[in-house]
Amino acid sequence: MFALSKRLTDAFSLRFARAVRETYREDEAYASTPLGRLALYAFLLLLLLLPLLLGPYPMYVATLVAIGALSALGLHLLVGGAGQISLGHAAFMGVGAYAASHLTGPLAPLGILLGAGSPPFWGFSSASPPSASRGCTWPSPPWPSSSWRTMSSRPGRRSRGNPGPDPSSPEVLGLVLDTPEKLWYLVLLFALPLFFYGKRLLMTRAGRAFRAVRDNDLSARVAGVDLTRTKLLAFALSAFYAGVAGGLLAGLYKAVTPEYFPLSVSIQYLAMVIVGGAGTVLGAVLGAFFVLLIPEVLNSFVGALGPEYAAQLAAWRNVVFGGLILLFLVLEPLGLVGLWGRVRDYFRTWPLPY
Amino acid sequence: MGAILEAKDLHLAFKGVKALTGVSFQVQPGEFFAVIGPNGAGKTTLLNVLSGVYEPERGEVFFLGQSLRGKSPQERARMGLGRTFQGLEIFRGMSVLENVKLGAELALPTYPLALPRAEREWRLRAWAEEVLDYLHLSPFRHAPAGMLPYGLQKRVEVARALAGRPKLLLLDEPMAGLSLEEKQDLARFLLDAREEWGVTLLWVEHDLRAVLELSDRVLVLSYGEVLYYGPPEGVRQDPKVAEAYLGQA
Ligand SMILES: Nc1ncnc2c1ncn2[C@@H]1O[C@H](COP(=O)(O)OP(=O)(O)OP(=O)(O)O)[C@@H](O)[C@H]1O
Ligand SMILES: [Mg+2]
Repeated sequence: MFALSKRLTDAFSLRFARAVRETYREDEAYASTPLGRLALYAFLLLLLLLPLLLGPYPMYVATLVAIGALSALGLHLLVGGAGQISLGHAAFMGVGAYAASHLTGPLAPLGILLGAGSPPFWGFSSASPPSASRGCTWPSPPWPSSSWRTMSSRPGRRSRGNPGPDPSSPEVLGLVLDTPEKLWYLVLLFALPLFFYGKRLLMTRAGRAFRAVRDNDLSARVAGVDLTRTKLLAFALSAFYAGVAGGLLAGLYKAVTPEYFPLSVSIQYLAMVIVGGAGTVLGAVLGAFFVLLIPEVLNSFVGALGPEYAAQLAAWRNVVFGGLILLFLVLEPLGLVGLWGRVRDYFRTWPLPY
Repeated sequence: MGAILEAKDLHLAFKGVKALTGVSFQVQPGEFFAVIGPNGAGKTTLLNVLSGVYEPERGEVFFLGQSLRGKSPQERARMGLGRTFQGLEIFRGMSVLENVKLGAELALPTYPLALPRAEREWRLRAWAEEVLDYLHLSPFRHAPAGMLPYGLQKRVEVARALAGRPKLLLLDEPMAGLSLEEKQDLARFLLDAREEWGVTLLWVEHDLRAVLELSDRVLVLSYGEVLYYGPPEGVRQDPKVAEAYLGQA
């Protein structure tokens, strides 16, 4: 009798332990519910089929948003994750674009990767030496504007001497990327793995270390986090993402010139991070959507009002950005992600909020 | 086995304010060691020197027979020296579980690249859950740590430190601001942790009754000097200690 009851309890506790394990495992994985998985697959399918659904101009905008989201994710790792500020983001994109524009033809993806590898290198070589207690400070922008100008004037010099391959239509495995669709797939090829990597990263060791440094650097050190290493990793990753995005942009724009990557673009990306909020992948996407679509919406809006207003558009755009950043900083520090979370929680518990 | 921690003649002054003058003591493995003293006695400074936040001007600290000179706080943490802070020094923007997982990283060997590894994450989770369960924090695992009530936040910090499986845990006034019931709970957790995980405890505490009841040995500091060093029974009898506490009151 005793043996039987013991066997039963043993079996029960074993069973129970298993069940708990399983739920923890499920808790760890993302998109663990069937519905979540379905939504993820549907979204991926939508991304793949997008060129069939949209015309050339919306496709151009979609590509711009995807590249923007990728770059914004890089800045998210740094600002939302590690709590560091960088005004050099556009410059890193510029370096990526410039480097990528040199390797075209069948080597285009390689060029983008190499291009992306160079911004972290640039960043490291110009980073100030780490001080013992506070980790390191990142230069922002990473080089004086004069040297930036000389460096970025090189494409012009090159075109005077030997023209080199035209960066506007790279070629992958014999496929000329001259249509928006093909470029879109190239963007997906880079963006999707990097998005999943970023998501995983934020959920694991490095992401926790980033946020620990952001929240409380004294506690982080005593908990065994290496401040210098963590900050450098965040900066390098963010620069890498910017570099990939810059390389992809080189394919989208018809030429690579420094005018495409001024300081105001860095500020635009900061706006994406603040509006998107919370250092998550979703925040990067929402922020990029919002910030990049505003000019488009403004465009059509102003176009409807009349051509005399179009000249003032640029100024108005900055006013709108500034207002948005202020609004979000004051009202919703968690950004669109915070808003979304609250809406979701509302519906999750609806109609019984307690 | 020798002492797990040995402080030898520690000196530290802040712009003329002597925070520590010639502090020496030993902590034995498995001990519940208390440091008490009036406000400004140098207790927190002592913990900062032990955990590597400050370097002493003179003297040396030995941990597990090894000198800690020149070792950074994170190196000391990896050697098995845990620490909690006076006041709340948790990661407020992270969930309770993330706080504890971060602490638990110390218990697992590091790997060179920041590659996300599912299996490692899973082991961290299992161990973190064990600690959460132990400290009755499981229901709050996904709550942002900064939004919990004060008593629970203090417990989160203890959980974070314990999750790193320290050999020696330094606690700076873990009971300050807690209700009597919360104090008793925490005392039980700490005694259990010592029992089950073999953690040696060194705690700074103001609650004299709790200290005399729980501790194996006591170090009394006043103005950076050691007034008393020995078993708790002797503390009340010591004339110098009585004077220091009366003088302050
Ligand atoms: N970073 C610092 N700079 C200057 N003086 C300091 C610093 N840290 C501590 N002190 C001084 O050193 C002395 C000891 O301070 P400490 O914080 O160690 O006291 P404590 O025993 O922890 O007090 P409490 O019970 O209030 O926590 C105090 O006179 C304090 O003003
Ligand atoms: Mg103190």
